[in-house]
Amino acid sequence: MAALWRGRHRWKRTNCLHVLTRNLTGKYDYDLVVIGGGSGGLACSKEAAQLGQKVAVLDHVEPSVKGTKWGLGGTCVNVGCIPKKLMHQAALLGTAVKDAKKFGWQISEPICHDWSTMADAVQNHVRSLNWGHRVQLQDKKVKYLNIKGSLLDEHTVKGLTKAGKEVGCLFIIRHLSIPGAMEHGITSDDIFWLKKSPGKTLVVGASYVALECAGFLTGIGLDTTVMVRSIALRGFDQQMAGLVTDYMEAYGTKFAWQCVPKRVDKLSSGVLQVTWMDNNTGNEHKDTYDSVLWAVGRAPETKALGLDKLGVQLDKETGKIVVGADESTSVPNIYAFGDIGEGRPELTPTAIKAGKLLARRLARHSAELMNYDSVPTTVFTPLEYGCVGLSEEEAEKRLGKDGIEVYHAFYKPLEFTVAERDASQCYLKVICERDGDQKILGLHFTGPNAGEVTQGFALAFQCGATYSHLLQTVGIHPTCAEELTKVNITKRSGLDATVTGC
Amino acid sequence: MTQQWLSLDPPIPHTHTHTHTHGCSFLVMAILAQLSRTSRSACWFRHRKQLFSSFRRHALIRRSMASDPAATDTTRFDFLVIGGGSGGLAGARRASELGAATAVIESHKLGGTCVSKNFKPPVMWNAAVHAEYLHDHNDYGFDVGNVRFSWETLKAKRDAYIGHLNRIYRSNLDKAKIQTIQGHARFTSDPEPTVEVNGKKYTAPHILIATGGQPSVLCDDEVPGASLGITSDGFFELETLPKRSVIVGAGYIAVEMAGILSTLGSKTSLVIRQTTVLRNFDSLISTNCTKEMQNSGVDLWKNSQVKSVRKTDKGLEVTIATKDPEKKNEEEKIRTIQEVDCLLWAIGRQPNSSGLNIGEMIVDTDEKGHIVVDEFQNTSRAGIYAVGDVCGKALLTPVAIAAGRKLAHRLFEGKKDSKLDYSTIPTVVFSHPPIGTVGLTEDEAIKARGKENVKIYKTSFTPMYHAITSRKSQCIMKLVCVGKEEKVVGLHMQGLGCDEMLQGFTVAIKMGATKADFDKTIAIHPTSSEEFVTMR
Repeated sequence: MAALWRGRHRWKRTNCLHVLTRNLTGKYDYDLVVIGGGSGGLACSKEAAQLGQKVAVLDHVEPSVKGTKWGLGGTCVNVGCIPKKLMHQAALLGTAVKDAKKFGWQISEPICHDWSTMADAVQNHVRSLNWGHRVQLQDKKVKYLNIKGSLLDEHTVKGLTKAGKEVGCLFIIRHLSIPGAMEHGITSDDIFWLKKSPGKTLVVGASYVALECAGFLTGIGLDTTVMVRSIALRGFDQQMAGLVTDYMEAYGTKFAWQCVPKRVDKLSSGVLQVTWMDNNTGNEHKDTYDSVLWAVGRAPETKALGLDKLGVQLDKETGKIVVGADESTSVPNIYAFGDIGEGRPELTPTAIKAGKLLARRLARHSAELMNYDSVPTTVFTPLEYGCVGLSEEEAEKRLGKDGIEVYHAFYKPLEFTVAERDASQCYLKVICERDGDQKILGLHFTGPNAGEVTQGFALAFQCGATYSHLLQTVGIHPTCAEELTKVNITKRSGLDATVTGC
Repeated sequence: MTQQWLSLDPPIPHTHTHTHTHGCSFLVMAILAQLSRTSRSACWFRHRKQLFSSFRRHALIRRSMASDPAATDTTRFDFLVIGGGSGGLAGARRASELGAATAVIESHKLGGTCVSKNFKPPVMWNAAVHAEYLHDHNDYGFDVGNVRFSWETLKAKRDAYIGHLNRIYRSNLDKAKIQTIQGHARFTSDPEPTVEVNGKKYTAPHILIATGGQPSVLCDDEVPGASLGITSDGFFELETLPKRSVIVGAGYIAVEMAGILSTLGSKTSLVIRQTTVLRNFDSLISTNCTKEMQNSGVDLWKNSQVKSVRKTDKGLEVTIATKDPEKKNEEEKIRTIQEVDCLLWAIGRQPNSSGLNIGEMIVDTDEKGHIVVDEFQNTSRAGIYAVGDVCGKALLTPVAIAAGRKLAHRLFEGKKDSKLDYSTIPTVVFSHPPIGTVGLTEDEAIKARGKENVKIYKTSFTPMYHAITSRKSQCIMKLVCVGKEEKVVGLHMQGLGCDEMLQGFTVAIKMGATKADFDKTIAIHPTSSEEFVTMR
């Protein structure tokens, strides 16, 4: 996201004068122009409008290579969080049918899943959200322009006349540059909008997007393989990442570890033949799939914005915009936040929050900066994983092995017991400072409803919770979340961390 | 933890036969439960061996106290726990870990009591949740075909699981080197607090009463035919899913039972005396839960009371009187529900305190028989303490456990101010959808701080799960804040996933979180719980 802001000096005047100022100078059409109608851009524009600013949002969706298009709301609404969580939910229901039998439900076999019923329902919901966003912009008096914006100078957006400031982002999903990748592959931009089931699928990549897609494809009964070049869930705690992928393997997802695709060919039968190199053995392998899904990351589309011409500094490696703590870029009046900011978490709620705070700062409503530490998140893999704070590796790096105390537990969710499901990956750990009050540095949890479990603990974490704060809280029985208030085995002790009894 | 099978004298003589029958049926069940006889006897044998060794230890103690003549025929411990439920066991285990010679007196199966009441409803609730999911499968693209619920399958599984937990309990106790004494405990008239079990006397400087409670029942004098009904204890022993159920009561047990039965396919009526269920919860929850129950198909009888019950060859005939107190001129309406095969009384619980001969100790009890304790679990008699349901406050397993442990730390580790904070105890009701609540209700906060100092934040939305289902249920949330700093003193919610949401928020509220802290927290998207940190 990038924001273009009109001259700072004008804003030193009192708030009640600024409408007048604008009218008198007549210099700008808008106080704020936001390029990109994703979660962050929408939040920022609505907040600014609410604070009395004149705001426009430019949103134009470039179709994916496969031609998939969508409406207002950005990645999260159209090709991210929302459709993926719904499809994840569909997969969980698949597991629920199996469990239901153990809980006494007699269900006639076989149970089949119909892709198009699910996809239609999901797509209709997304369209209703697109519509909802447009209505909201109208209500909040934000001008919505379905055009592709680019910057002419620090006050002007092409396609418009003069503007105050600007925010924007555009992404193109990366394909690997191997033969056949572009023509025969799909990406997460396409998967949610397929009319037909993708069939037997190869997912290339091991980011959370890759694992989530592979998880729900497996869950609705498709033969799914994940091809991993090095490690899964880079940047996340690796012990937790291991539990997530172990669970997926037990759940039926196949993994090709240390493998790199070489080429994709479409055979006359219509299936895709993928050739890959197994780096463990140095051998080449081939198999056929109905679909190949590339989930190797997202690349920012900063060129089209004309940022280079304006001299906005970009990170050479990632191509993302270099931003300061106040979301400012190297060019005054242009701000960037959300996924397009270098080093920022690619998460909807952080973009929303950063966008709102930026709008408030620009309107001189507050000086509060976005706090990018203590960002909680949840990966919606078949076994959900929620976390807040540092990974164990990062905590160790900062404080040393002797500087931290890790409390951990393997627990069994009650719903797994009667369903006779293996709970060996249901685990939690709380990483604390070893000295003093044992302040919590990181909290990690795998299990059902991890997203719902983690939010409250993220609040406690934000309040500076210590290990004893957890222990002093009465548990809620019987839930999975209560295990976090009972955890008492340290990793250091080497004792068995399996929870027994009440 | 409650011990509904603790065979203390039943408080209401009329129902003696009734409760007794159920106690017996449970016993049979417990034996049928998947505990293999061989492993059980082996376990018992091991236990006997341990008993001998610990008796030797106590014999030594006895000898050293030989100068005290009263002690010669009385076995002494550091800590004596009456009642082997969660609270008692937790206290006993912690005390033993802290080096105290500890014994637990239990008149029934040790440990078995813990898991029974508190594990079964959620297991049954899970089965009911599956029923709800099954409704939604078509919307998510699954063709599930014909579905029928088999109560028998679930019951067998559940009992197997509970049997497993019982074994865990036994082994935990064995590991903790706690002596168990089987039998009824009764306080004697000795000058020093002493109990008698099967003719043997036991004493300790610290005696903990953790005998739990049991469901209240009406006697046939009050409501003719009342004993034809069962209580929540009997419910879990039902062999088949009742076709037609009538539940009496408006508390959380009534709500949970009605939800389970109705969702599993039993035609269910709930009879309540006023117009809403869960009246001691925040009004938002109370109103919403009443509405959700009606939406989900529970037949609600407001302003109603059961007048009589009659057995016919087609089941029970329940006669109910209904009168709206608002309409003073209206006659009381008398109607009946026919062919009822399960009438369930869920009208409250009462403490298991009557058989203890507690009057002998001059321990104060309230009019219902609850033992009165202070914030440190002290009774009115020094050296005697009580935790859990027998005190009648916050009848929740984790509360009893926490209180038991805190007490052990105070008594045997010298932590003088170790006590449980009863102000932020989270509660989950496994209704459909579940309820989570902690801290003060809006009314309580206004009463305590004045209307001008209370600020309420509320939201309601359709959880994303229901975005594509034809079956809908709302999620409602409320924050109760007080003072200028908007300290959050209450959090109430009902909706999908609220059971798992509450715990972390409880930690933060206990830490004194303010609304600003909630606002500062970054949301986890897309979840329902994120609504709490994005409220305006």
